[in-house]
Amino acid sequence: MSDAARSPQSWEPRDATPEARPTSFPRVMLQFSHPGRCYQPLEWLTVEYAVSGIAEDRTRAMERSLLWYTEGKGEEDMGVHFFERFTTQETIAGVMPEGSFAVQLPSSPLSYEGVIVKIRWCVRLRVFFETGRDHVSEHVFTLGSVPPAAIPVRAVERLYV
Amino acid sequence: MEFCGRGIGSPAMRPPRFFAKKRGHRRTGSQAWGTFAEGLFYALLISVGLVFGALLVTGAAVYAPAEPDVVVLQRGYDWWMWLLTLLIPVALLAFGGSGLVRVVRIWGKSLEHRAAGGLALVKGLARGTQNPPGHPGVPPCENLENSPGTVLRYRLPLESPENWTLVGFGLFALLWNAVVVVLAVGAGADLIGGTIDWLLLCLLVPFVAVGVGGVVFFVRAVVLATSVGPTQIEISDHPLVPGSSYDVLLGQGGAGLFRSIELGLEIEEQATFRQGTDTRTQRLVVRRERIAGWQRVRAVPGGRFEARVTVTIPPGAMHSFASENNSVQWRVVVRGQPDRWPEFVRVFPVVVFPGSIRAVLPEPPPEVLEEAG
Repeated sequence: MSDAARSPQSWEPRDATPEARPTSFPRVMLQFSHPGRCYQPLEWLTVEYAVSGIAEDRTRAMERSLLWYTEGKGEEDMGVHFFERFTTQETIAGVMPEGSFAVQLPSSPLSYEGVIVKIRWCVRLRVFFETGRDHVSEHVFTLGSVPPAAIPVRAVERLYV
Repeated sequence: MEFCGRGIGSPAMRPPRFFAKKRGHRRTGSQAWGTFAEGLFYALLISVGLVFGALLVTGAAVYAPAEPDVVVLQRGYDWWMWLLTLLIPVALLAFGGSGLVRVVRIWGKSLEHRAAGGLALVKGLARGTQNPPGHPGVPPCENLENSPGTVLRYRLPLESPENWTLVGFGLFALLWNAVVVVLAVGAGADLIGGTIDWLLLCLLVPFVAVGVGGVVFFVRAVVLATSVGPTQIEISDHPLVPGSSYDVLLGQGGAGLFRSIELGLEIEEQATFRQGTDTRTQRLVVRRERIAGWQRVRAVPGGRFEARVTVTIPPGAMHSFASENNSVQWRVVVRGQPDRWPEFVRVFPVVVFPGSIRAVLPEPPPEVLEEAG
């Protein structure tokens, strides 16, 4: 029962106009410490966020994570670098509706824009409601400065079964 | 605020969706239904295993074939017969039990929670892969560094697709001709007995033709693999780092003339995906750089052709990466064109670590650190 918005910049529900959106629709505002959202390995990443549109007593748990995942032709792989889960009302009150955290980034894997393999880094905030549903908000950033790959002129493509 | 993220989701109570749609990356279906059905399946397997096993252990009434009125209470199974009989229920219990434990462990947990927990560790151990310390996502390089070179520090292992072709041809020829022999023995026995099974003889002709073809292809692959001579690559250091240069020694054996030999550096992306019930792997070379090339090469008598060159890993290049279904692999590639044989390609994988780190902030802002703690 998960509702997810993977690419918040590009994806928007069709009926997501302010008039059509329910009043209890969660809305997450997140600010990175670097304006361009570009970080180098081992650098500290700091984020501040604000969650609105939900009542506190309906929140069962909250998770904050920093992870990489793959995109492209292959099945999705994921690696979690930082994970926090808050389950009691006292701890949830400390991180909701506003909060911030800082994480030192690892040395790898770097963000990569390949042809059939892509690596993305992101911050995810996931809110679990008492009803059993959850809401996840994902905010992509760049680790490292690897130039995107391009298909060479004499690309060799082989397909194995 | 510099960046705003939104997701959909209503806290209002409603039953989970049974049927799903795919909207871009997102699926509207309920993960809970899938996990529930998976758990139900494993529970069913356990139930079947328990019932089946109980029936076998307690024993149902068996009637003597000659006297239907007599019930046989003693079956007289040996220990190995018990082992064989209980194999299926034990397998059902083991498969169902392990599956149910897995479902219970992931129930109600988010993807991030599962990946951060012990499941990822178990998966990593099961695969036998361990990232180098401090470099998550980078493949291990122990297997590339366990062979010292004669001139330079390491001799790189060969990963040639030709070897797999050779194994494939050999296995096919062996299995196919085993079937042909069985058919031929049957047809020969018929002939000796004075009868001719025309259907079997007609079937045997194309089978023999394919079997002979398989042997021919296998012998040709063996000749091609052994006639050119071995290729060796030695390197001055490993793992490699973008922006650094390394000495590479190429050694090519073989008595004949090579019209050309080319040494190159490549990056290959590899993605494994499921297509229906098949698992497929696609490989794509996304970067290819020529390091050096030689024309009309002939090895010295009793020796081999050797050349020493310098290889520079481009600054800012992507490092080696490996996860369960995706990888980015660096490799040194030797392409040769012998005078009398087809072109050959020999691949030597290397591991490239991430490049130099430009910005390192040793301490986080203190106020944020307190809050995070």
